[in-house]
Amino acid sequence: MTITTGKITMTLSKLLTTTAAATMMALPAFAMDVTIAQTSAVNTLDPHGSASVGLDLSVLSHIYPTLILRAPDYSLQPSLATDWEAVDDNTWKFTLTEGATFANGEPLDAETVAWNIARVTDAENPKRISSWFSQIDGVNVISPTEFEITTSSPYPALPAQLSMFMLLPPEWASEHDPVTETMSGFKYQMTEYVPGDHITLSPNPDFWGEAAQFDSVTFRVIPETASRVAALMAGEVDLINKVPASEIARIEESPNATAGAVDSTRSVFIKFNTEKAPLDNKAFRQALNYAVDKELIADALFDGLATVSNCQVMTPDYFGYNPDLEAYPYDPERARELLEESGVDLSQTIEFELPAATYLQGEEVTQAVAQMFGDVGVKTEIQTMEFGAYLDKYRAAHDLGRLSLLGQAWATIDADGLLTLFKPGNQYSYWNDEAFDEQLVAGIATTDPEEREAAYKKATEIMCEEAPVVFLYAQPATFGASTRVTYEGRGDDWLRAFDMSPAD
Amino acid sequence: MTHFLKDLSRSRAGLFGFVLLVVIVALALLAPLLDLPDPTRGDLRARLAGPTWQGLFSPGAHPLGTDEVGRDILSRLIHGSRMTLMVASTAVVLGGIVGTVLGILAGYKGGFIDRLLMRLVDIQLAIPLMLLALLVVAALGPSIRNVVLVLALTSWIRYARIIRAQVLSLREREFVQSARAIGASTARIMFLHILPNVLTPALVVGTLELARVIIMDAALSFLGLGVQPPTPSWGRMLADGRVYLSSAWWTVTFPGLAIVLTVLSVNLFGDWLRDYFDPKTRSAK
Repeated sequence: MTITTGKITMTLSKLLTTTAAATMMALPAFAMDVTIAQTSAVNTLDPHGSASVGLDLSVLSHIYPTLILRAPDYSLQPSLATDWEAVDDNTWKFTLTEGATFANGEPLDAETVAWNIARVTDAENPKRISSWFSQIDGVNVISPTEFEITTSSPYPALPAQLSMFMLLPPEWASEHDPVTETMSGFKYQMTEYVPGDHITLSPNPDFWGEAAQFDSVTFRVIPETASRVAALMAGEVDLINKVPASEIARIEESPNATAGAVDSTRSVFIKFNTEKAPLDNKAFRQALNYAVDKELIADALFDGLATVSNCQVMTPDYFGYNPDLEAYPYDPERARELLEESGVDLSQTIEFELPAATYLQGEEVTQAVAQMFGDVGVKTEIQTMEFGAYLDKYRAAHDLGRLSLLGQAWATIDADGLLTLFKPGNQYSYWNDEAFDEQLVAGIATTDPEEREAAYKKATEIMCEEAPVVFLYAQPATFGASTRVTYEGRGDDWLRAFDMSPAD
Repeated sequence: MTHFLKDLSRSRAGLFGFVLLVVIVALALLAPLLDLPDPTRGDLRARLAGPTWQGLFSPGAHPLGTDEVGRDILSRLIHGSRMTLMVASTAVVLGGIVGTVLGILAGYKGGFIDRLLMRLVDIQLAIPLMLLALLVVAALGPSIRNVVLVLALTSWIRYARIIRAQVLSLREREFVQSARAIGASTARIMFLHILPNVLTPALVVGTLELARVIIMDAALSFLGLGVQPPTPSWGRMLADGRVYLSSAWWTVTFPGLAIVLTVLSVNLFGDWLRDYFDPKTRSAK
């Protein structure tokens, strides 16, 4: 009996949303096509097969629903889930939108969510994003619209992590290959896919939420920066990102486009391999921090659009950010004193690894920093390498050069995550500080925000003093948008049509 | 020598190429004596400054502008030419020595050695040279030595083919036959009698190879596989400047011009040199 009622409600609400969508689509104000330029081609269409937010996941987030959406201001907004709460330290409860379905009619209910979580936590068949959910113990379905996720230890960042987790239709996925095909459950559906060139999306007429704003959205691949800027100014594309800071003023002058930058959540720094001499020497590490004129880099290379880090790798948007720290001042004299104190042999040349074409103006920053190191008497040799090769050294081989340029962000925008990359024992750390470790352990022992903040405050103080990196700046998230749309920019990597709206 | 210059002055293209090449080589050799700004040090505050002719001889002038980290482009061009010419000429000479020796060996000995060497050449010709260069440099790691080695590797085959063809006809000539008749050893014949007679074609191949190798060197460093920053190289300057192509044209235009002019001068001079040494075209004049 209950089941019948459920079915009727579902059909009714589906009818209602369809009518609503049809009415919306009839409005002429929405008749508009937009094109978004991406720097490289999509690797996979499986939303569980990629952790690349700026690339694969951005495109797929138009097609597949998430429980929660992160707004451009980083707040977590309801999407398929209308409500969520921590029941206790190890349990999160979610409530879902009623009557939501995929375009093929499969229901978007608690069972579907449970199936998707089971898909990525299947130890036999791990997916690219499985590590996000290693703490998940199980999913407890209460009703079609309610379920609980239990975790093995407190996981305060779970809702944030779920904002990157998209849902596939289970039945469809058993008959189709999600790597090469898609089935819409969100605002858009894929109408054309030319691998390596472009993907075209059109509105999903059966969408259960607020309808799509554009008649079509095309993601075009334009790897070359100068070509992306030219395409924007010629009116061929409506949205680009990763624009060099000095090009922003030039785009602004054009009648077709505007450009801007916001602080991103990605912090750029010079990573030290403190497991190798002389970077095991604290005075030497501090000396290098004093040797770099961070302000000059931010002002001259980034036109003042980059914000100098205040002695931590987190940006103000992170949970656990410490507002009380201050950056190492630019003081070459102090640097020389500390170098002398450290007793390090300065006749040696230290390798300085640079992942090519990875970070905004990374080549320029590296050369500027190397020159500043040279000015205080530290000789370096830049070694450019493919990002993949760098990652192999960093992760698989655990054989990072003594210096390297690195930019890191953590999508949950939480100290638990970004600071974990420096935790002793972590493959990415290259810095083994016990006092720091203790604070990180304290930071995830509870979901109480105040206790957690206190732990991260101490952790960041230790990190500032011990200087396992040269703290540089928060990489500006630069963008250019055509005057046909309004776009405010966002500092995480998401590149989405539904963050834009047609200009009046 | 006078005959050489006289003949050269009659060919406008050859003369143009020769003079240009002499100027480029002279600039490269004299670079340390010229009062140029340090090519590896930049002033971030003066980045992407346009070319200016005002106060040309004052210390802070950048007649061809500055690059993306504020280094003087003129100074980087001239110092970069040292690197380019050094790498290219070493590779061409190295490839020339190997190719000539193997070419003489294949041509004079014939038989199994000839077949083996020529099949090796065939195999290598079947692989795109750029792909081969990329693979080798990626495997060995980017360094000047590796770039020279890989460029020499792509270069020896042309010498080997042409020298072998020359030797095939030379070994039937009377002076070789008579040397063999009086009992000269094979090595003596190859290197005292044949070698001097193939040096001219080797020289002509060398100049033409030089042009090709300069372009390939620029391509490798454009892809980040050549010399490492901040050491100046033309290809690298192109690669780093292309982001600013539309707002700071001077960052790519001048290195591009430098490559074009150098290759053009080498090609023009090389063409003339081939005609000069070729008895057929000479007697036709």
